[in-house]
Amino acid sequence: MANIPLRDSFGNLLVELGEKKENIVVLDSDLSSSTRTDKFAQKFPERFFNMGVAEQNTVGSAIGFAISGKIPIVSGFAIFTTGRAWEFIRIAAHDNLNLKIIPTHSGFVGEDGSTHHALEDLSLMSSLPNITILIPLDNNELKQMMEKSINTEGLFYVRLPRDSFPEIHKKNYRFNLGKIDVLKDGLDLCLIGSGFGASLGYETALAIEKQQKISVKVINLSTIKPIDINDLINQVQGCKGVILIEEHNNYCGIGSIISKILSEYNPIPMKFVGIENTFGQSGTRSALLNAYGLNKEAIMMRVNELFKKI
Amino acid sequence: MILSDSETKQLEIEIIDIKKDILQMIFDAQSGHPGGSLSCASLIYILYKKIMKIDPKKPDWEDRDIFILSKGHAAPALYAVLSKMGYIERKEIFTLREFGSIIQGHPVKNKNLGIEISTGSLGMGLSIGVGCALAAKLDKNENKFIYVLLGDGELDEGAIWEAAMSASHYRLNNLIALVDRNGIQIDGATEEIMALEPLAEKWRSFGWNVLEIDGSNIKELINGINKGKEIIGKPTVIISYLVKGADVSFMEHTRRYHGKAPNKEQYQLAIKELNKIQQKIQKEKI
Repeated sequence: MANIPLRDSFGNLLVELGEKKENIVVLDSDLSSSTRTDKFAQKFPERFFNMGVAEQNTVGSAIGFAISGKIPIVSGFAIFTTGRAWEFIRIAAHDNLNLKIIPTHSGFVGEDGSTHHALEDLSLMSSLPNITILIPLDNNELKQMMEKSINTEGLFYVRLPRDSFPEIHKKNYRFNLGKIDVLKDGLDLCLIGSGFGASLGYETALAIEKQQKISVKVINLSTIKPIDINDLINQVQGCKGVILIEEHNNYCGIGSIISKILSEYNPIPMKFVGIENTFGQSGTRSALLNAYGLNKEAIMMRVNELFKKI
Repeated sequence: MILSDSETKQLEIEIIDIKKDILQMIFDAQSGHPGGSLSCASLIYILYKKIMKIDPKKPDWEDRDIFILSKGHAAPALYAVLSKMGYIERKEIFTLREFGSIIQGHPVKNKNLGIEISTGSLGMGLSIGVGCALAAKLDKNENKFIYVLLGDGELDEGAIWEAAMSASHYRLNNLIALVDRNGIQIDGATEEIMALEPLAEKWRSFGWNVLEIDGSNIKELINGINKGKEIIGKPTVIISYLVKGADVSFMEHTRRYHGKAPNKEQYQLAIKELNKIQQKIQKEKI
């Protein structure tokens, strides 16, 4: 099923939410046509602020809006927004401000190449106290995440890709912030992924079960922070191993966070599928995913390693 | 608003009180930034006492004017003024920098104490001021003004100039920046470390209304700010020529006391000097 890219959904949702809440303002750093905040800009020109190619001032101004009682939403490309403006975001977290950072183009962006991929943004964001970090699996989840983040006080980072992800959730799915979302039950192995990682895990789990006698559970870890530790431990209990899948550097990414929790409270053999400490290069998204080991084969290899070891 | 000479005299006396508090706070803590606190103490006090629309009893009053101390290391000056205005209990300011104190080495956001935002990492305040000014415009709150106090060394930060560009782009005449132009940053003279001049021309070329004043002259300061408030269609920057360590002879014009507390002897001498200045002001005939 062809799906609209998540950034398009984001653009549409901004308009919907903007209609409901008059105190929403949107700030972008000269990328509104790419991030799709231009839809909001057309509908609510007086509440849209193009700050030019200046991410620090974009987030800095958003802080000013937040202390003035508005709900500022900042968009841009994930790596520039989180990287260039990190210290401003740190102050927003430090002061517990009601501000939402929702950039697009996370993970591999494709042909723009290594300067534009965002493979380090989660490391930057997850080390901050007072921040909620969400990664949608599909449009259904994104819609609920956007509503939740706008209606909840505090600093949110919602990580969006450039492209579309397959629609995996059923229509009646209910996003529950912080809770573990089990996409598929299983007994022997647990695949944990976020965003594209979760949909790749889901697809791979079905393939594994066709080929081998392994029952695979798949977890969509859509809340990266805060994580419900007890819920996570309960979900992986009984499994012989965990494989973590993320479209991010797997050094100081989601894998590091989950392995910190599991090694402390429920040690279990783990393997990691992600970008191995590199910046990537230009290419189509699918070429990049294959070249840097974010595909079914890479996961299967980890499954074999894990079960040989066990 | 025209100040009478006796009012001016009274304000000058009160500014010396603020300076004595600043020195006591830093002496008690044996750490802090006296140089840049003494230079801008008068600016902050005059803003709170004579310019800003505020109500210390209602620190979160929606229509209040906003003050952002972008040069956060002048925290002792801010705390001393907030205490004088009734936001912070006087005894609290002498716990500066102590473990568990409500006032840290640099300002931390605290609505009840009238601290709008945490600062200390330099170069952030003007952007935050831009956001506040845009929000006030959006709310059509014509009488709300945003004041941002910048250090001159702080102007090395690129983010200041991003903010400066956007403030004139959005025609933020409700934003008034004050530059504490004392000419000295941590490592030396601003013109030696990273030259700022021609500073007024820089701001002008960024589309700002620029005023240059003797920042220690209360009447000039008030007139300058009032002029800035009347400007239509552009933000105002008031480059305030001030003296680092002002009114304590051995702290003046030197980088030595940028971030160093006085010892007991120095502290006592400083207080003695400030008392003398105060007595002199009192004796002056109007």
